[in-house]
Amino acid sequence: MTRNVMVIDLRRCVGCQSCTVACRTWNDLPMDIIYNPVLTEGVQGDWPNVHRNWLPTLCMHCENPECVPCCPTGASQQDEDGTVWVDHTKCMGCKVCVNACPYGMRDVSHMVPRFDQYVRKCTFCRDRRQNEPGKDPYCVQTCHQKARIFGDIEDPNSEVSKLINSVETFRLFEELGTNPQIYYIPFLGGHR
Amino acid sequence: MKRHYWTSPIAIYLFLGGLGGGIMFLAWIMSAFVFAGQADVLGPALAGPMFIALLCLALGCFFLVFELGQPPVFWRVFTTATAIIKWGATMLSIAMFFNLFYVLAYVPWFPVFENFFMPFRAFNLGVAGIMGLGIMIYTGVMLSTLKAHSFWATPALPILFTTSATSTGCAAISLSLGVWPGSVHMTMASYLGAVAIHEVLHVVDIVLVFVEIGILLIMVLSFLGSGTRTAKRAAKRWVSGAYAGWFWIGMIGFGLVIPLCMYLSGVSAMSNGVAPVLVLCGGLLLRYLCVWTDDRQPLPGEERYYNKLPKSDAQFLHAWEDGDLY
Repeated sequence: MTRNVMVIDLRRCVGCQSCTVACRTWNDLPMDIIYNPVLTEGVQGDWPNVHRNWLPTLCMHCENPECVPCCPTGASQQDEDGTVWVDHTKCMGCKVCVNACPYGMRDVSHMVPRFDQYVRKCTFCRDRRQNEPGKDPYCVQTCHQKARIFGDIEDPNSEVSKLINSVETFRLFEELGTNPQIYYIPFLGGHR
Repeated sequence: MKRHYWTSPIAIYLFLGGLGGGIMFLAWIMSAFVFAGQADVLGPALAGPMFIALLCLALGCFFLVFELGQPPVFWRVFTTATAIIKWGATMLSIAMFFNLFYVLAYVPWFPVFENFFMPFRAFNLGVAGIMGLGIMIYTGVMLSTLKAHSFWATPALPILFTTSATSTGCAAISLSLGVWPGSVHMTMASYLGAVAIHEVLHVVDIVLVFVEIGILLIMVLSFLGSGTRTAKRAAKRWVSGAYAGWFWIGMIGFGLVIPLCMYLSGVSAMSNGVAPVLVLCGGLLLRYLCVWTDDRQPLPGEERYYNKLPKSDAQFLHAWEDGDLY
């Protein structure tokens, strides 16, 4: 069975925010919604030994998502390939799932009419992959540093499978037991 | 932290839901156990509090629906089995229906309802009371299951909310006992029953306020002493930060300690009139502070990122819509 995951190579990310812009473009997001912010804690260390790390984030498409079982309308769903998405035709905008997500990767736009708000989130470009099978999410295609790699972890020949099995990776907030499906290759020097 | 996703309507909903549930639960306990066999006498006295409970639940549901992003489709809340909020909505609906059936038995202007519902009033009160207990617990469980939020994800929260809801229920019953336009049902025995219930609730509320102070302090101070970094930060806000005034003076002082002193001073105008109002205000303040303490453990750099973004009222964000971009 297919299980889509993303590997993000932090050694390659330069913080250009291309993925953020690409995502906004593809999903036609309102101004106050960002599916994949690229975070940084700023410049670290003392001159001349300084460095700056970037942490691209997005929905973790957890194997055991907190946001799906708490949805009272069934709008929050998980596909067989692990993609977590929201059917906005079913969402009533109660924001339980927004509060349930430990990563803060769901949001409700306040720039749409007050009583037409629904929860939005990254879907690994589900529409794009369904319409054109084999295509990667738009953030993956856009990343010129090739820092984002998308694929099927169940396929031993896939790039993600090889990477996860060959280099050290970590995941965010693993201790919560949600089993997030975004794997990070640590920064140079092993900084996490 | 991007913003508070749940705001005043949810805090009011949690308060009113707990209050309505508390009234119904206590009314059932009084009628079925404490004064067993006196339902005929106590019924008219409890009709007023039960009507207040019905209003609280209805108003709470209004605030809940108002908070939704798409209120016209609120009925979708009943469409899945796993969600805790679905069970809350179901209990609220059942409680409101059976509460209404109970109150209709005492409406003086419609004898048809009175004749129809009077034989079932014990059953209606029983169902409403059990649902009331469920609603009180649910208001705390709803928050405590959201483990992304350090301050909410504790078993102490449902206990605190249930205690507070029962305490506010006591206060509301004390204020509304025997107040009912259907005075045709109110006999001297009913008035005496109301006085007896008042005496019992006076003692019960003393115990509940004591317990609530204990749970509240244990919860907040244990977060401060041994919680996660996020929980500590939230607890510090309560104890010595931005919420300290609301917490120490508003909730602990005026909401709990002062009413407790009034209750302990014996039956007086202060303990009958002022103390219950203060307890109700303290309960509302507790829900407000809890809902506003929705701290989530931030991702590395997350706060820096969102603090740098323009706020939603920034002029250039709307320039495109307004057509004056150029």
